[in-house]
Amino acid sequence: MSRIIVTTSGKGGVGKTTVTANIGMALARLGRKVVLVDADFGLRNLDLLLGLENRVVYTAVEVFSGECRLEQALVRDKRESGLVLLPAAQNRTKEAVNPDQMKQLVADLTKVYDYVVIDCPAGIEMGFKNAVAAAEEALIVTTPEIAAVRDADRVVGLLEAQGVKRIHLILNRLRPAMVQVNDMMSVQDVQELLAIPLIGVVPEDERVIVSTNRGEPLVLAETPSMAGIAFDNIARRLEGETVEFMDLEAAQNGLFSRIRNWLFG
Amino acid sequence: MTSDSVLPDLVTSVTSPASETVNSDIQVRFKTEEGRLLLILPTEAQTFTSVTNWNDLWQQMKQRLNGGDRFWQPQTPVHLIAADRLLDGRQLQAVADALSEVQLQLKCIHTSRRQTAVAAATAGYSVEQQPSFPALNPTPTPQPIAEPLYLQMTVRSGIEIRHSGTVVILGDINPGGIVVSNGDILVWGRLRGIAHAGAGGNSKSFIMALQMEPTQLRIADFVARAPQVLPEQYYPEIAYVTPEGIRITKVAEFSKSQFLSKP
Ligand SMILES: Nc1ncnc2c1ncn2[C@@H]1O[C@H](COP(=O)(O)OP(=O)(O)OP(=O)(O)O)[C@@H](O)[C@H]1O
Ligand SMILES: [Mg+2]
Repeated sequence: MSRIIVTTSGKGGVGKTTVTANIGMALARLGRKVVLVDADFGLRNLDLLLGLENRVVYTAVEVFSGECRLEQALVRDKRESGLVLLPAAQNRTKEAVNPDQMKQLVADLTKVYDYVVIDCPAGIEMGFKNAVAAAEEALIVTTPEIAAVRDADRVVGLLEAQGVKRIHLILNRLRPAMVQVNDMMSVQDVQELLAIPLIGVVPEDERVIVSTNRGEPLVLAETPSMAGIAFDNIARRLEGETVEFMDLEAAQNGLFSRIRNWLFG
Repeated sequence: MTSDSVLPDLVTSVTSPASETVNSDIQVRFKTEEGRLLLILPTEAQTFTSVTNWNDLWQQMKQRLNGGDRFWQPQTPVHLIAADRLLDGRQLQAVADALSEVQLQLKCIHTSRRQTAVAAATAGYSVEQQPSFPALNPTPTPQPIAEPLYLQMTVRSGIEIRHSGTVVILGDINPGGIVVSNGDILVWGRLRGIAHAGAGGNSKSFIMALQMEPTQLRIADFVARAPQVLPEQYYPEIAYVTPEGIRITKVAEFSKSQFLSKP
């Protein structure tokens, strides 16, 4: 049975595309056949994060209009052969697609792939409806900010009403130092409000930005990063493995003490 | 906390500009009647301003189903009271599917619209076509308060529950969530959103919560904003109207002073 997972948030810019690219890559590295569907029609950028922009010939819209076959539009990853991308059109609006088309498309993809991961646009309008139409599971991405959490809560309500039963939370861009001094919502604060199971906490990490710019998902980096490990762990938890949550605070203190040692002896 | 009142001076009360009456008929309702479950849709006339489209109706229906699914006997026959609402075969199928997910069976469609009747009959449901529903179309004369609505759910941001009787929520009301009732509101959980009790004008209504951290409380025409400073520890609390406005008290102490002193 293939898994159909939508990555969604309500609020924009909280890390949906980053999460989709990294988890997709991590799952492929675990030996799974993964297709990432960019459902952000009009503002696509999943191809950029994957470094596949120059390989995009057709997009989902040409598949819907019958201008090409589905297989022609799929872009295979140059590093992991188990990973493919179905790009979104950049020049069309979200109204160019409807939920029934998305359902059909995803149904076709499940014949071949173990995971169909759909990158949802921000908002709860038509683009959201298209992206979630076929989903059986959801990864809710939020940052520890009141507005982001509020939007995430709204989206969870909509998904629940739609009958999406498996909904997991990813808390992105956590800054343990700020949580420690009560300047940021803690994991517990967010989880208490959203009341859905947590599947990962990703710290704020500059290397995410570097990897975005290079088109190299962080999970591929040779020197491990906190965020990269966090994405990898999420992929493993999706696979059913029990993976302990990282102690971000300890990691942070460890880093400080190392700097101190270096400075003072 | 020593007094009977939790931060009473931080709770500001003003009179809201206009009283609103809760007409619960503008939302999807479930009602048990003689061994069957009625699923009552708001009529098109009732919803001309609020819920007009099928999507919203559909979401409300799913929320109510998910919130109450522990209470229904499996295989209870459901009568869909569609009144003047136009439903096509696909929408009827969607309703039937949603009901069967919680082991309820769509049996019969009550409608005043010919097209809906045809769609229902084509899909194999029994149909009761009636011009109108006097019993279900309440007249504006004063009515007895509706039966309580008991929901086990998180009232999340963007969800609005309206009911003409008392509402019991087993779960939290999150910021951005709203519950409006003509009777009392009991929250067996955290109240962080907005609760409006006695919305029809009954200022004797209460709002109770295990953890009272509301964005705003309203009882009849009175409004109270949440205190800026949150208490260190929470107790089950009750909000009620006094001559000075809305007041919040620990439930334990309120019960002693109010309920017991009544003749
Ligand atoms: N853990 C992180 N640490 C540092 N920066 C991050 C992290 N996660 C995401 N970012 C940065 O935040 C920005 C937004 O990320 P991304 O594009 O993934 O968000 P999005 O939710 O897909 O946005 P949109 O709603 O516009 O589609 C990017 O610049 C990304 O590099
Ligand atoms: Mg994005």
